[in-house]
Amino acid sequence: MQQKEAFIQTIKDNEGIIYKITRVYAKDTEDQKDLYQEIVYQLWKSFDSFKGKSKLSTWMYRVALNTSIAHLNQNKKSPSSTSGLSLNFELPDAADHSGTSGSEWEDRMHMLYAHIKQLNVIEKGLILLFLEGKSYEEIAAITGFTITNVGTRLGRIKQKLKTNFKK
Amino acid sequence: MELEEMKTLWEEMSQKIEKQQLVTDQIIMDMTQQKYTNKFSIILIYESLGTVICYGMAIYILFNIEKLDTWYLMTCGIFTVSLLFILPLLTLRSLTRIKSLDVAAHSYKETLVRFERSKKRLLLLQRTGIYLGFILFLVVLPVMDKIFNNKDMFTMDMAAFPWILTGVVFVLLIFFIRWGYDCYKSITTSSEKVLKELED
Repeated sequence: MQQKEAFIQTIKDNEGIIYKITRVYAKDTEDQKDLYQEIVYQLWKSFDSFKGKSKLSTWMYRVALNTSIAHLNQNKKSPSSTSGLSLNFELPDAADHSGTSGSEWEDRMHMLYAHIKQLNVIEKGLILLFLEGKSYEEIAAITGFTITNVGTRLGRIKQKLKTNFKK
Repeated sequence: MELEEMKTLWEEMSQKIEKQQLVTDQIIMDMTQQKYTNKFSIILIYESLGTVICYGMAIYILFNIEKLDTWYLMTCGIFTVSLLFILPLLTLRSLTRIKSLDVAAHSYKETLVRFERSKKRLLLLQRTGIYLGFILFLVVLPVMDKIFNNKDMFTMDMAAFPWILTGVVFVLLIFFIRWGYDCYKSITTSSEKVLKELED
């Protein structure tokens, strides 16, 4: 029981990480809910074996990103299986930010995700961790690339995004 | 949109999410029970059902194998039984290998490599399965005709209908193989691309 409580607290403390990852990898809201559940399920499965072997966030990002890889490749025509659960993925009104209206902010968010979704699966994972403010060392620990390689790849991704922005 | 703007927006979104409760205790617990079925599980259910049908057919042929009284019918029978036993087993093995990929044990890079390799293996198997399925179609007809009707398709004069039916199925199979090959080629090309990029 204590373990379940600890797990619930871990998820609640870090639900934003899962939300952001699922939004990058899922094709729509229903798909996002499916992926969200799959990630929570995989985290629960490995929660016992994790036991502080690495940083909590490293374990969480690793499981969430790895689960997303498999999710990307699954049959896209399969019906959604999450209708029984009511996940609230509506974010609060955005009017308090930068003086822009909520819908304008949402439009910019859509554009941001559209740019990220144009990237391939390797690049998506790297840019997501970069935007999350992770250091090269942390990105290397999560992704398995060397620190130098992370730097090189991120440089290429930034260049690619710049070109895409101009289009 | 510039990269700096992307970062600012991302931070704003992170702050918003912190203010919002997305999941409740009950929802989290429901998710850990896997009350839902993921998409791979659905594929696995269909494949398992197919395996039961194939095994049922193979066992039925085995129980009636003595009815295949010529060397060529016996050869067709043994070939059919072998395929019906081996093919579903290999497909199920490949699928469970992908499904049981330990997402906590490996890094993003390693998982990508393992996943793409498993996917390529499964696709190769499915492609081989399509070709073998085609051969199976040709050999299962005389076997079943002999077991059910005690007729030897290789020596008897056949009416037009079975030949027409065979011809139609043959043409459909060619289209199916062609379509399957195009899908296979496109998916493996994308897998190769990811694997190559990981080596860079």
